[in-house]
Amino acid sequence: MKRGNFLVGALSGITVVANADHIFARALAATPLPGLPGGENRCLVLVNLQGGNDGLNCIVPHGNADYYRVRPSLAIPQSQVLAIDAQLGFNPNMTSFKAMYDKGMVAVVQGIGYPNPDHSHFRSTEIWQTAAPDRYEHTGWIGRYLDDAGLPQDNLFNGVSLAPILPEVMVGTKIDVPAIASEAAYGLAVDRNATTRQAFASLVHDERLPFSSPYLPHVMEIEDRSQRGSEELPRLIAGYTTNASYPATALGRSLALAAQIVGSNIGTKVIYVQHGSFDTHVNQVAVQNRLLGEFSDAMKAFYDDLAAHGNDRRVLTMTFSEFGRRIEENGSRGTDHGEASPLFLIGGGTKGGTYGTAPDLSSTSMGNIRFTTDFRSVYATVLERWLGRPSQHVLNGTFDQIALL
Amino acid sequence: MQSGLDIAGVQRPAGTLEAGTALLPYERALDARLAAHLLRRAGFGGTPDDIRRLTGMAAGEAVESLVRFPSTSALSAPQDVYDPASLLSQYGFGALRSLTADARRQLLMQVRRDEVRSILSLQLWWLDRMLATAAPLQEKMAFFLHGHFTTAAIQKGVSPAMVYAQNQLFRQYALGNLRDLTRAVSKDAAMLLYLDNATNVASHPNENYARELMELFTLGVDHYTEDDVRESARAWTGWRVQRFTGQTFFAAQLHDNGSKLFLGKSGNFDGDAIVNLIFEQAQCARFFAGKLLSLFVYDDPEPELLDGVAGLLRRHDYELAPVVSAILRSNVFYSPRAYRALVKSPVEFVVGTYKTLGVEQIDRSALPALRAMGQILFYPPNVAGWPDGENWLTSQMMIARQNFLAGLVNAQVMGASSWLGEIPMDPAQATHALVTTLLQDDASPASYAQLKAYLSGEGTSALAMLGAENFQERIHGAAYLTMAMPAYQLA
Repeated sequence: MKRGNFLVGALSGITVVANADHIFARALAATPLPGLPGGENRCLVLVNLQGGNDGLNCIVPHGNADYYRVRPSLAIPQSQVLAIDAQLGFNPNMTSFKAMYDKGMVAVVQGIGYPNPDHSHFRSTEIWQTAAPDRYEHTGWIGRYLDDAGLPQDNLFNGVSLAPILPEVMVGTKIDVPAIASEAAYGLAVDRNATTRQAFASLVHDERLPFSSPYLPHVMEIEDRSQRGSEELPRLIAGYTTNASYPATALGRSLALAAQIVGSNIGTKVIYVQHGSFDTHVNQVAVQNRLLGEFSDAMKAFYDDLAAHGNDRRVLTMTFSEFGRRIEENGSRGTDHGEASPLFLIGGGTKGGTYGTAPDLSSTSMGNIRFTTDFRSVYATVLERWLGRPSQHVLNGTFDQIALL
Repeated sequence: MQSGLDIAGVQRPAGTLEAGTALLPYERALDARLAAHLLRRAGFGGTPDDIRRLTGMAAGEAVESLVRFPSTSALSAPQDVYDPASLLSQYGFGALRSLTADARRQLLMQVRRDEVRSILSLQLWWLDRMLATAAPLQEKMAFFLHGHFTTAAIQKGVSPAMVYAQNQLFRQYALGNLRDLTRAVSKDAAMLLYLDNATNVASHPNENYARELMELFTLGVDHYTEDDVRESARAWTGWRVQRFTGQTFFAAQLHDNGSKLFLGKSGNFDGDAIVNLIFEQAQCARFFAGKLLSLFVYDDPEPELLDGVAGLLRRHDYELAPVVSAILRSNVFYSPRAYRALVKSPVEFVVGTYKTLGVEQIDRSALPALRAMGQILFYPPNVAGWPDGENWLTSQMMIARQNFLAGLVNAQVMGASSWLGEIPMDPAQATHALVTTLLQDDASPASYAQLKAYLSGEGTSALAMLGAENFQERIHGAAYLTMAMPAYQLA
């Protein structure tokens, strides 16, 4: 994510205007909004399938002869597909996930995208994370939700990014989301000594420095929050016992920590995790199948763990990916950047099944799958029906909800 | 909004640009703060001796000493650059082909181990070179170009030998011509493999390189169309990389010789022609102007400043030396608005710490520390290169930075070479030495007093008074606390 670079260039003027509009919108929304039903004790887990997950080899249209025609070396043989019905099925490596689907825990929403799709990883990721396909926005849709949800400002863990980075989706203007790569890595050496601990705490707030810097307030804030957050978190989550066998993958470790945070009831409303890279320009099948298998196994362990603690109905998981991929394979047994793709909603109150419209491989958008459902419809559904918040301000518009929650 | 917390939005310094004089030469002599500022921006920070050497010099003279850098041929070459071509001399093509599946798997695992070992050794070699070189601007530019024209090792067949060759290319063009560099790096083996241009053929174009060339390397989003991407991909067809040897070559029979319509011009373009057409765009100069200003001056520069540097790039036909020199001599570069206006990247943070402490060799522990801070040399996170600005400052990355400092001040390498051992055993003098040398006095009176209290053991029952027996430990603790201050995160 390179927001800094993104501002450089012809956009500087637009940025200022968008920002002014945003401040105005915020002033209007400053009055606390009444919470809609639900929302209490619920958590949303976002799984970013980074790089552009190929939808056609994930939710396979095995009943469609065109699929086998345009993907001579990449198509998943019909015999290997984990069939949902005569038309659709899961990638063969997603057996655990297919079992969750069969139990009614998974909604597959097909044809998700947005108008005038952008084929750049970075711009499209930004569009998905800011929920703003038509303008440049500095805050993420979850950041805006956290800002407006009336959450306790003194809680350091209203939102948590289980990655060393802070993804744009979690960026707001009031609530700071900590980035936590792992519990072991999230701790200050200086805290092991009472004197240096105390000295650090006071030195990071230097009020009268002989210089100014646009980054100085942020440095001080992060130094302070790193110390307080890393002191608090281990205490807060110490009482939890993991009750599932997670795969030894990065995603498995992230989701194990996510289950621990949820189960420790520390008020966390949204957790971000990431998995990838799905940018399969070359030799797609081996890479994507491995990644989907890892996703499937980690997700099963996550919901086993949640269920063992009675938390499975409290946690809704939503996947997203910046785009799907080109329908036709390229010359490198891979696929180039495309447009619409499916996403998953898992657990919580999800009504399992398939939603949306299956890809039409004959009527394409320059060789890409046309989107049939706006991604903001899914966001609106999640905001209103899961998090119990009005979606119009967060999404800067009104979008049809989907009856999957 | 909560005080001080705005992690979204514009990161331009407060105040107004004096557009008329911003890029004119700064006429005054450098004091120690500005000498240290120049060394942080044009390199990886200065040793106390480096800072003393530039202090009092005219800005133009100091910049000249960095831009006209001395030959670096005496610096040692890396010891362990693994080249898969060695497999050929060991086995020959025929023998490789006739290996059993099991033997091939064994061989592949061995190759992977050799490659990883080699990349770790290259990382240490480069960090040491950043620390030791007499031409810091050359390494700073090579480091910038590595993040800009991104390539990551040990994937898609990018071998350590290719990574090292590309690294040398960046060093060769450090202050060379940007257009020539863009043409050269487009045909570089590591780049051809990393962005799939080596599998881009007329019958099945692969658009990956064509897109990133414009989006990330030369123009930025919104300055080209999807058709431009497709047409450029056709123009780039035919470049190949030979397995094992890594030799690049152009296979004319795989090239699309048809006419292409690109950025409004049509013709039977090849890759070089595509680069030339891109560099004719005014946006290309503005794009690189933004990159250079964010590297050297401050993020999110004003349009006037951007236009000024873009004009310099066009006037000098994209030659970096005169443009970088003009930026580093300029009034805006030495203005309070540029001072400490950038966030140190992890590599700048780590190498700069070794430099400022006077430690002469990078310790192996720097590698896991850099990984935790989010910057692994030769492994950028994705094709967009490293994060920047506030994206380096998440709570997790901040913890990694603090823990690196705490580890280093207590490490054995601190023993012999560091000036910390020469600090007088007097709390006031020691405080002054630490804050001046490590922070160029960028601390408040309150922090100064806090540090002095820590050194003397005042105001706390947990610490004994300063004495010969606890002096070294206390100085190291105080050096850590000095570097824990907010200014130290900023370049």
